[in-house]
Amino acid sequence: MNVAIKSITEQRDFVVSSSSLKEVRSFSREVFEKVNINQDLKDELVLAIAEAAQNIVKHAYQGEDTDDKMEIKISLENGQLEIGFFDKGRPVEEKNVRHRKIDDIKPGGLGTFFIQQIMDAVVFKEGEKPWINHLVLTKNLNS
Amino acid sequence: MSYKVTEENDISTVHLDGEIDMDVTEKAKEIIMPLIEAKKEVHLNLKEVQYMDSSGISVLIESHQKATELGTKVILKEISKSVLKVIMMAKLEQILNLD
Repeated sequence: MNVAIKSITEQRDFVVSSSSLKEVRSFSREVFEKVNINQDLKDELVLAIAEAAQNIVKHAYQGEDTDDKMEIKISLENGQLEIGFFDKGRPVEEKNVRHRKIDDIKPGGLGTFFIQQIMDAVVFKEGEKPWINHLVLTKNLNS
Repeated sequence: MSYKVTEENDISTVHLDGEIDMDVTEKAKEIIMPLIEAKKEVHLNLKEVQYMDSSGISVLIESHQKATELGTKVILKEISKSVLKVIMMAKLEQILNLD
């Protein structure tokens, strides 16, 4: 049953690995079950979060095996959703993060496009110690 | 993800089940690509796929392109609502063979 709440902050650590993506989705679904938004929007938000986590595995760590953790923090305050991603991988430069041209049909490069389609804003920050990267996704759920 | 492959004449149907993400894309390709390379028409039944991300979409694109290159085709069958939404978000509904 959905519980409409105005404020929520939940965070969880995940091993940086493709095998963690299922847990990332489960965590995101659990959080959004507490929020009174429609199922389509919940599914989109889960996809955006999973794509951002996948980008950490693929790009910040370039698919290497690691014991490092990434942290995902989901906050909602008065309908303003903010999702933070923290990792200790290679520094990500915002200018190098771009999706492929959508009419250039080839495998890959769609994750960032999906995130940008779903969210209102995507901001890369330098992480505060011990983190290297801090990605912030935001969306106004009131609109 | 689990799967089942059925064969009828020159058509191989792969029934995929579960969630298709980066963690299972190699397995998905190992199932699908040899069928395409054998120049069979491949039907991917996506009725039981509850979730697909950009990695899964990449498998669909790669399969489609490989099939086109080899003169056969991949047809997506009984696409679940959630997968169709992602295909449309990627603006691929006019590119892939949807049935």
